[in-house]
Amino acid sequence: MKWKRQDMQQYLKSKEYIDTAIVPLLPFSMEGNDEDLLSLTYQHEVMDVFTERLEKEYKGRIFRFPTYSYLATSKIEDEVERLNGYYEQLKTQPFQFVFYLTFDAKWKKHEKNLEGQLLWLPILKDGDIHQEETKKVILDQNEQITDLIRAYWSET
Amino acid sequence: MSKDKKNQVSRRQFLNYTLTGVGGFMAAGMLAPMVRFAIDPVLQPDEGGEFVSAKISEEDITTEPKRVAFNVEQVDAWYESTVEKVAWVYKQEDGSIIALDPTCTHLGCFVGWNDNENYPEHFYCPCHDGLYTKDGVNVPNTPPTAPLAVYEHKIENGILYLGKAIPREEA
Ligand code: FES
Repeated sequence: MKWKRQDMQQYLKSKEYIDTAIVPLLPFSMEGNDEDLLSLTYQHEVMDVFTERLEKEYKGRIFRFPTYSYLATSKIEDEVERLNGYYEQLKTQPFQFVFYLTFDAKWKKHEKNLEGQLLWLPILKDGDIHQEETKKVILDQNEQITDLIRAYWSET
Repeated sequence: MSKDKKNQVSRRQFLNYTLTGVGGFMAAGMLAPMVRFAIDPVLQPDEGGEFVSAKISEEDITTEPKRVAFNVEQVDAWYESTVEKVAWVYKQEDGSIIALDPTCTHLGCFVGWNDNENYPEHFYCPCHDGLYTKDGVNVPNTPPTAPLAVYEHKIENGILYLGKAIPREEA
């Protein structure tokens, strides 16, 4: 499901089946050098492709929420706190699994203070998403993520 | 001076008029197609009839379901985009080809063929254990309530072309 009215309508009718929430985490900044800015937009694109595919193949069980974006310069401790506030919101619904998908290694260090499950993926700083090589890498990582999520599912 | 004022339309009024005008225009724009459809069903756009290549030749299709991906141009009210579609394609007993839409009829996850050891030779939905037999018919007492949809298909120059996915009613 996506953050769309039509999907929400379906969600409201079948909540108990859609037990997995995915929230992408992406830093935002406009003040970096050109390289940084290119990298940020590239990451955003890759994240889009990623979550789009995930949602498409697992529409009936995964709810893909809008991206949580934060200033690249902000203190991660504060963000952890804010994100936990998100988690509280999600938990008012019958979500059993809450996954945060990110390329930003900063979260990794604070993982233990986070409610919910952090899925951190390493990614090239920059690239061309339309290139065959890049596509392969993305599809590959996509598969790994799906396997991981399915592993969580089968544990219950 | 005062005579002038009478004819003068204040800026606020003017904007108000224009807004109402635009609003009315928009409402008309929304109503017009509805009215048209109500009057003349022939005018309704035909969604079907477009076939795209599944990039697989007829001879490569066996009795074992194979996953093929193909791209279709999709236009809805706001977006125009290329969407990747997936089909499970195989030859039936009688040699005819069938292309199943992998979209689970429960809540829309993609089903896989023969990929769960507990359910060999079945289409299996990883989301809530939905099951379908090889012909795409849902197994009773699993969440799906209808068989998998079937794509329209045709063979041209030995290549498989797929069209619209046609939903099937419960048998
Ligand atoms: S979406 Fe396939 S069983 Fe629920």
